[in-house]
Amino acid sequence: MSAVETISDRSAGRSWRDIRQEVTSLAMSRKGRFRRRLEWFKLTALVVLAALAGWGLYSVVHSWETDRSGLATAVHSDPVRDIAVIPDGVLTKQWASDALGLPKAASLMALDLPKLRDRLLDHGQVRVAVLRRKFPDTLEVTLHERTPVARVQASDGDGLPKQLLVARDGVVYEGFNYDKQMLASLPWLDGVRLVRHDGKYEPIAGMTDVAALLSVTQLEAPHLYRGWLIVSLARLESRDEIVVKAQDIPEIVFSRKRDFLRQVAQLDYVVDKVRDAMAEPTLLSINLALEGQVPVKMQNTPAELAKLPAANFTLQSNQTKSKRDL
Amino acid sequence: MTSNSSRIIGAVEIGTGKIAVLVGEIARGRSLNIIGVGVAPSRGVMKGEVVDYKAACEATHQALEMAEKRAGARIEEVWLAQTGGHLDGFYNEASVNVKSADNTVTALDIATVCDLAKEKELPAGRSRIHEIRRPFRLDGRNVPDAEHLSGRRLEVGYWIVHGHEGKVSDNIHVVGGYHLEVRELVLSSLANGALLTSAEERQHGALVINLGKGITDYVLYRDGHVLVTGTLPVGGDHLTNDLSIGLRVTASQAEMLKLRHGRATIQTRDKSEKVWLNGDASFGDRQFSKTAIETISAIRTLELLEVLKQKLGPVFLPEHCGAGVILTGGTSKLPGIEDVASQVFGLNARRGESPAWVKEELKDPMFSTVLGIFQFGLRGAQEHAVPPRRKTGFLSNLTRIFATS
Repeated sequence: MSAVETISDRSAGRSWRDIRQEVTSLAMSRKGRFRRRLEWFKLTALVVLAALAGWGLYSVVHSWETDRSGLATAVHSDPVRDIAVIPDGVLTKQWASDALGLPKAASLMALDLPKLRDRLLDHGQVRVAVLRRKFPDTLEVTLHERTPVARVQASDGDGLPKQLLVARDGVVYEGFNYDKQMLASLPWLDGVRLVRHDGKYEPIAGMTDVAALLSVTQLEAPHLYRGWLIVSLARLESRDEIVVKAQDIPEIVFSRKRDFLRQVAQLDYVVDKVRDAMAEPTLLSINLALEGQVPVKMQNTPAELAKLPAANFTLQSNQTKSKRDL
Repeated sequence: MTSNSSRIIGAVEIGTGKIAVLVGEIARGRSLNIIGVGVAPSRGVMKGEVVDYKAACEATHQALEMAEKRAGARIEEVWLAQTGGHLDGFYNEASVNVKSADNTVTALDIATVCDLAKEKELPAGRSRIHEIRRPFRLDGRNVPDAEHLSGRRLEVGYWIVHGHEGKVSDNIHVVGGYHLEVRELVLSSLANGALLTSAEERQHGALVINLGKGITDYVLYRDGHVLVTGTLPVGGDHLTNDLSIGLRVTASQAEMLKLRHGRATIQTRDKSEKVWLNGDASFGDRQFSKTAIETISAIRTLELLEVLKQKLGPVFLPEHCGAGVILTGGTSKLPGIEDVASQVFGLNARRGESPAWVKEELKDPMFSTVLGIFQFGLRGAQEHAVPPRRKTGFLSNLTRIFATS
């Protein structure tokens, strides 16, 4: 330990090292100002040099990553002879070949995989695409597809109507190779505005809620789902309501703010009650969007049904609605 | 102080009479190579304190520029000498019981007792300059390093030197005006003591007195340690002033007479012996009694040294000052001053001589402070374990990297 200590961080109280050393430009001599400018110039030059070096490094790395031809010449590889497609849906190898559009005798190393992946992703049916080189001459393509939950009608460039599919995430796409019967079972979407952008349709907002309603109904009340023809999103933004037109009921109103399982259960209950009470019921409207009561509109309500006490749909605090109640 | 691979350091003394700058290249924190010298007459400084910022800046920057030109290198940091009548010191000590069960002193015990001894608060507006530790005492016996020794009670005392914050910062800002950072502040007396005394002399006890133009500072060593330091706001200027009043001449004429005929002892017996003011028989040239000049300068010198002895008080014991009195500074050139010092302190007195490694042209006492700064700094680089506070932050680090590249 030293006998004479310079003032350090450990010193108690204020020391000369706490004195601010910087002086204002006015308090500097001409030479001092020159020295300061020189130091800043050096610092700026250093920063610029560092930036240039960084940019140069980035350019080299970017060129290495993107210059396929250079890579192809640097590494020997065979032309692509096979495309191995691993789908999880209905897409086929032929479809993948057409979508990729590989030039003939393209070298495996020369393939720009990110670009090819983007080509596949341009098709809305493909959710995830993973491309891998399998040496010596195979391109492996793994595809994860979207599942359609509804259909929507649009017009093509010639004004002719065409059927498009809508996935759970709202992506609108032309389906390929789907089972026609399955497609026919999907409800149509109504009250949506399709917006084209760069040759593709913008995703439909609110489809997550619609898909949730359709999934719940398809799973828990398939007999009801089978009769659903049109799902309207016209009141979704303004009133949080999804309006369904079924074969036998012109209007069923759901709220996306309420639990869909409970609303479907209420719908099932109302339909059962009405069918039990009437030989040929003619339901005009069922509104499930209200908490605690379900207004039902009918044509020619029979007197005996009108006298029935209103069903109490409000759950008590100790009550739960299980799937079995449906 | 830091020990980097190679640094260009400027040792700066902003004195009342002159500004001295030495540029040194310190390699690996140990070897020093002096590569540039700059000296300029001082302006705007009185008794070691800056009283005219612009004038002091001009003079200091002139010396810095000259030193850089001669060195052919840019100074990276400054070690600055600090003196002035505002400096003061006090002694504070503390003791702790050794904590370990087997009574072995640990680094923690040492750190604790040192922190306690340094803890005393300063009055408002004062800044610490140095904290000078005296030897440890372990159960009453003096030990240079107490770690790993056995004992029950560990004591230590610190001589804490502090100065007026505004006056210290004025000195620092004069250097800052040249866009240089003061990395170390070294008491002038400690710098002179480091240069002019050997470790053996410090062990025997020595009193080093630096007689400057406006300030006299001193350091007293005992048992190899600094016992006290101090300053007197009296210097060679007072001799000049007395001559000016006594002989009714201007200050510059009095300064000239002092340099030519002044003595610390009265040597001339013939009272009728006269000396010429200019000696060139020009118009206005006058004659003065040589005895009068010697009497005035001798009385003043004696008084100065007696005041210093009084200020030292009971801590000064001739029997503990075996190496005697060592005089330096411009006023120490006064003939016969060793005899007066010897008479006042009752010890051998001599003029300080720079060590053999100092070049002939730097052996003048005017360079002893700046040379001493390097000596002190180099010794500190080997001894000091505590690094000084450094600026942090991206820009500071970048600047430092650039400066060292």
